[in-house]
Amino acid sequence: MAMEPELPINSLLKGKIPGEGTGIEVKKTICSICNPLSHCGIDAYVKDGVVIKVEGTKENPHNAGTLCSKGASSRQYIYHQDRIRTPLLKKGDRGSGEFEPISWDDALDLIAERFIKLKEESGPESVVFFAGYSKWMRPFLKRLAHSYGSPNYTTESSLCHLATVLAARLNYGSPAGVPEISKTGCLVVWGANPFYSNTSKVREILDARERGMKIIEVGPLLTPITAHADIHLRIRPGTSGALALGMAHVIIEEGLYDKDFVENWTHGFEEYRAYVKEFSPAVTEGITGISSSLITKAARLYATTKPAAMMTGASPTVHHTNGIQNHRALTALIGLTGNYDQEGGNYLVPPSYVSVPNGVVTREAEFVQSRPWQEMPPRIGQDVYPVWCKMAPEGQAMHLPFQIRSGKPYPIRAMLAFGLNHRMWAGSDFMLESLKMLDFIVDVDLFMTDTARIADLVLPACSSFERSELKFYQEQHVIWTSPAIKPLGESRSDADIIFDLAKRIAPDDSLMGQGYEACVDWILEPAKLKVKDIKKHPGGYTLKDVKMPPYRKYKKKGFPTPSGKMEFISSVLEEAGQDPLPRFKEPVLSPRSSPEVAKEYPLILTSGARLPMFIHSRTFRLPWTKGLRPDPMVDINAKDAETRGISSGDWVSLSTKRGAIRVRAHLTEIVSPGVVNIYHGYPQADINLLIEPDYLDPISAYPGFKALLCEVKLITEGMRRM
Amino acid sequence: MAQLGFSIDVSRCSGCMACIVSCLDQNDLQGGGLAFRHVTRLERGSYPSVKLSFLSISCLHCGDAPCMMVCPAQAIYKRDGDGIVEVDRDLCVGCHSCALACPFGAPQYPADGKMNKCNFCFERLNHDMEPACVCVCPTRALGFGPLETLAEQKAQKASISILDSLHLWPLNISL
Repeated sequence: MAMEPELPINSLLKGKIPGEGTGIEVKKTICSICNPLSHCGIDAYVKDGVVIKVEGTKENPHNAGTLCSKGASSRQYIYHQDRIRTPLLKKGDRGSGEFEPISWDDALDLIAERFIKLKEESGPESVVFFAGYSKWMRPFLKRLAHSYGSPNYTTESSLCHLATVLAARLNYGSPAGVPEISKTGCLVVWGANPFYSNTSKVREILDARERGMKIIEVGPLLTPITAHADIHLRIRPGTSGALALGMAHVIIEEGLYDKDFVENWTHGFEEYRAYVKEFSPAVTEGITGISSSLITKAARLYATTKPAAMMTGASPTVHHTNGIQNHRALTALIGLTGNYDQEGGNYLVPPSYVSVPNGVVTREAEFVQSRPWQEMPPRIGQDVYPVWCKMAPEGQAMHLPFQIRSGKPYPIRAMLAFGLNHRMWAGSDFMLESLKMLDFIVDVDLFMTDTARIADLVLPACSSFERSELKFYQEQHVIWTSPAIKPLGESRSDADIIFDLAKRIAPDDSLMGQGYEACVDWILEPAKLKVKDIKKHPGGYTLKDVKMPPYRKYKKKGFPTPSGKMEFISSVLEEAGQDPLPRFKEPVLSPRSSPEVAKEYPLILTSGARLPMFIHSRTFRLPWTKGLRPDPMVDINAKDAETRGISSGDWVSLSTKRGAIRVRAHLTEIVSPGVVNIYHGYPQADINLLIEPDYLDPISAYPGFKALLCEVKLITEGMRRM
Repeated sequence: MAQLGFSIDVSRCSGCMACIVSCLDQNDLQGGGLAFRHVTRLERGSYPSVKLSFLSISCLHCGDAPCMMVCPAQAIYKRDGDGIVEVDRDLCVGCHSCALACPFGAPQYPADGKMNKCNFCFERLNHDMEPACVCVCPTRALGFGPLETLAEQKAQKASISILDSLHLWPLNISL
């Protein structure tokens, strides 16, 4: 290409062109607004120590220069006026919202003093450690909790993702595996919208689609993937389990299952076969609302395309009062069709570091469990949700408000939380009031949130742009970031806070005593990677010689289940007194299971499906993302709106037996008649106020966010804002 | 160089709106109503057969730009070579004639009252960088280039999928 004439300097500045002339430098960092499977590489354009623009890192194979609307808003995220600038100590009553600045040393000393006293008075288990968003500090927080002596390390995974792993582990002893999109002939997308939740995956899906991959979408909502799907099974919310059993019925009746796998590698097939007999296409149509011919067609397409892979969302299939069993039923299809740990099917790759599976072998699991469970008291929820505590390496935070109130089996008195948001809990007001009963709350966050406001001590964390961290990608890319800018105010890296606390409250942990980098080196030891070497590549680099695990590992080692096989009937559930079959049950609140409630609340409410500009509550406050959808809106079908006299944009009341919130009506066909859908977490219209705190799955304790009952009514003229 | 244009593969656009935000970031705009790019969501049909589609548009840098024709201050011009439609904001009198004439809603008016709009990130193009919106697009729905090249690429892609669907030759031939 011919040399372009150089532009004048003001033009270069306007275009934010990096270079000596403009003084704009490109610094490599990562976004950590959403989950660790993404955390896209970012080029921060920095001038005079200030980020003036961001762009996706081209050479990072994960996002290849792209970003989503949230990551593209990074500048407003890191410089937001709500950022906490200094450690703050509560003044006056809890919840007064009044704080005074305090030095870091005084703040950390205060925590140490309180935690050491609590340990003496009530035992270390009376202190709960909690990690919300972001998730990068989790390994270190878990180790800190256990080194201090508390079994109560809890996280946001108490209601997101981990139950899907638990359900799969009940079947296979291991996770369901990663769908190998680039190698598969048919992709089932079950309760997922990667276009809005995992944008870096969608190029792979679209490219595979263009080369002929079939797509079966399962879910009650229309999503951007629907247009690409060969079949969309638009189920009534809460009926995934029945659909999966119905598909299994067709696959078994028509002899389309993998007979060799079933015969040699499964346990309880005959009982399962007898049970799925009940789910003929006609019966399944009655439950799910999908025509029997479409169910049959989908079952045949999935079972006869070899290989076929299944992608499930982080939570939609387990946010149900029968979530675990539903998810067991649908992941059982992977084994039934012989696609488990199969090339181009669902490939089992263990997580390497902070949930990312990429083949690199590390010692993370060993690192985080600094004290074995047997040497600690039982975890929160262990008495009520024993299967959770058996299968998940943490306590069950959904049970926290109940234990705070009951003091049973032991009192909970204090909490050290990173990114705590009470609106995450069903019955969020119940959780907020429960938190207020604690003696001492420390919340580490970037922003002064409504939950931080009730803490005794609020500590300012810095963003990913202001810290150093190790980041692994599924594409075998690794980066050790350097701060792109100085921390805002006195904010600090979460890791620095954790390691400084470790010196004070877990002084016997000599490994933590050596600091963050030394601990990362320890974790990476089996991979022969060292922080000092990774650091030499400012934008990260792609590891060349990662040895990926083989396919069909069960052929050598069997399945890590009690029977050594894939379990259609779960030995673990049987032992726990639960139904060992993946039995379908209606949502506790549904038109079929609670017709009395449905008389007054006839609409099915499903909440929490992703919008492209928000990830939970994390980008609500940014003008750029908020501007894309300024008001909380409920999606309602035009037919349901019409019978209620509601027009698009009207302010409506969305109510359940528990309460009501005020939102705008969005008339749309993305929901079927009889179903309404709303995003979660809005401070001004919190859907979780409308859901009972005990509306939970009995095995996982996951809330039934995705299926209950509600009504929508037009708010009369006098109450309208506009 | 020939006339530059944006391209969008509507089958890939998911309405994620990253293009809007990266443009706001590039151009230091406040967002909300003030943006150089807009994404529209269209629903056709009703349950159970509904089609959902999205389209992202900005200034299209028209060959025969109506905004230029109507500008009384002659503040709008087409750049030589690449055909990018630019506004000289020093000349703009803020009369909004261009907004009336533009069929795509491209002209925007920040607090100073003078027209501003997409300039195709020509400063970035000059340095071998893509327009901010094209670079950010997670589905690779947005593209850009000389119009002839874009047409050729689209014709090729469409032809390949047509030929593929006809199954004119058996795959995996062993000779």
